[in-house]
Amino acid sequence: MNCSLFNLLFLLFLLITSFSFSHVLADSHFEGFDAEDDETIEEEILDHHSIRSPPVSRSNSQPLTDLGTPTDPDPDFVPASDTPPQSELQKPSTISFEYWDEDEFEGLPAEQPPPEPVKDTENATPDDPDPKTTSKSQGATVSKKSFTLEIVCGSFLIVFAFNYFTGKRENENLALAWAAKFATKGSIFEKNFSLLGVGEGEDSPLLLKEGQTVFKFYATGRRYCQGLLATMELKSRHDLISRLFNLVVPCKDEITFEVYMNDEAMDQVIFAVAKKKAAKGMQKEVRDLQRFAGLMTNPSGRKWVVDDLSVISESKEVAGDLITEAVLEQVFGDKAYEKYGKNFISMQFSDQHPGMHRKMLVFKFALPDANNMADITRLVALVPYYIDLVGRYKLSSQARSKTETARVKAAQEAHKELKNARQEALQRKKAEKKKMLEEAEAKLSAEAVRKREAKERARQMKKAMPKMKMTRA
Amino acid sequence: MSHNNNSMSANDPRQPSAAKPYVAQPVAAQDLPVDYSGFIAVVFGIAGVMFRYKLSSWLAIIFCAQSLANMKNVENDLKQISMAMMFAIMGLVTNYFGPARPGTQS
Repeated sequence: MNCSLFNLLFLLFLLITSFSFSHVLADSHFEGFDAEDDETIEEEILDHHSIRSPPVSRSNSQPLTDLGTPTDPDPDFVPASDTPPQSELQKPSTISFEYWDEDEFEGLPAEQPPPEPVKDTENATPDDPDPKTTSKSQGATVSKKSFTLEIVCGSFLIVFAFNYFTGKRENENLALAWAAKFATKGSIFEKNFSLLGVGEGEDSPLLLKEGQTVFKFYATGRRYCQGLLATMELKSRHDLISRLFNLVVPCKDEITFEVYMNDEAMDQVIFAVAKKKAAKGMQKEVRDLQRFAGLMTNPSGRKWVVDDLSVISESKEVAGDLITEAVLEQVFGDKAYEKYGKNFISMQFSDQHPGMHRKMLVFKFALPDANNMADITRLVALVPYYIDLVGRYKLSSQARSKTETARVKAAQEAHKELKNARQEALQRKKAEKKKMLEEAEAKLSAEAVRKREAKERARQMKKAMPKMKMTRA
Repeated sequence: MSHNNNSMSANDPRQPSAAKPYVAQPVAAQDLPVDYSGFIAVVFGIAGVMFRYKLSSWLAIIFCAQSLANMKNVENDLKQISMAMMFAIMGLVTNYFGPARPGTQS
């Protein structure tokens, strides 16, 4: 579907933007910064050790020279001499602070503030880089960790889960509203078909749910046709990403009616009605329309469908017979189309339908929302009307001769294609068999060669042997 | 409505005798639409694990959720989705609780 292709483009766009972000947030910058800090800390610790030893030696020498002096200096020095040996046992950081600040590491406190202003300015930039910079900043500083990414993604997931259940219910309600209008007791399909629903018996469920967006309704037991399958393909309301996407690229709820006509009921009719642009595409793409029918010009001198729509048909006569007065009055005429025809997408009758069943009528309408289900009443009424019309319709002899020749040609071509396909398959099989045989022979011949060689050696050995035997004998 | 069932008048189009029960047409495995969101989830998950990129792991989780929401056939699709989920969760765990890079906070 077009929706999924656009989905893919959207996702590719996301990929590209996310990888462009990665360039902005190269981690190496901050790794380098952090690594440098680690190194500077380690260097400082090493320097503390080297600096401590000279003062220890100095303090030890001094008390010896000053023992003769009054006691005051002694207590000063004794504790001084005592503390250095103890200090070696203590943690280096406590004493080293004093030496840092005085001698060589005056710049260190100044270094702490600059990283903080840098962080603050970076916090002002867009949200996504934030958690990166703050979470990777110096562990020693009090980090302002912002959980922006986590909050955004977590909330998106919560909204996604919430939307799943509401969207699911919305789709179900829409399908049930349709079924309540057209498939329950006293409705149009109940009056037209004897067996409704996919199960057996009276209480069979009317709708079959295949996934969150696809609902099927089956009806059978009517003259001229084997059955009718209505498939509702709804918007992906349960998927938040698709829903956001459909805000940009509009999508519609669709219902497709497929009527399987009986072989004897349907004559050779290939006919389609669709909106102008869509009709051109249909005529080129759909195989049977392409081969047998062409776009029809509006006939003059009689009432015809609205200009919005165009008709594809094999012959004008057939088209004229199928677009009856009643239909024009009810749905396709100028007046009626404005009111009732808006939800019409396309309609296609074919007795050469590609696929399993040959003779099919296919109707496609857009579904209105649950409250306005009555809008498509007249369109749905087209379905049984056309089943009867096409079921009773017989081609005139002129029309039949034209259609007959075209179909005979098509049948012959199809037959030829089948033959060719079968021949190709046979040839392929033969070629494969030949290859297999050749490989087997090659293997055999290799083995045979080995055997021959072995035999020859054996013979030579035997030739060598008999002389011995003869001598013994 | 019951009298309609009994009468075989020309006006009543129904033919109970002609009723054919519904046969679900099997869809070949190749015809199934490609699970784009699952594939993208795997790509983002692997990127998140390899490059230690948190945004990528979170996006992988989001696309896994989308793939789960769109899953039609429980048996077949669950395997790929669970693989994508594994990658995404692994990515998140290594990003948040794994061995921290030097100087980074986990």
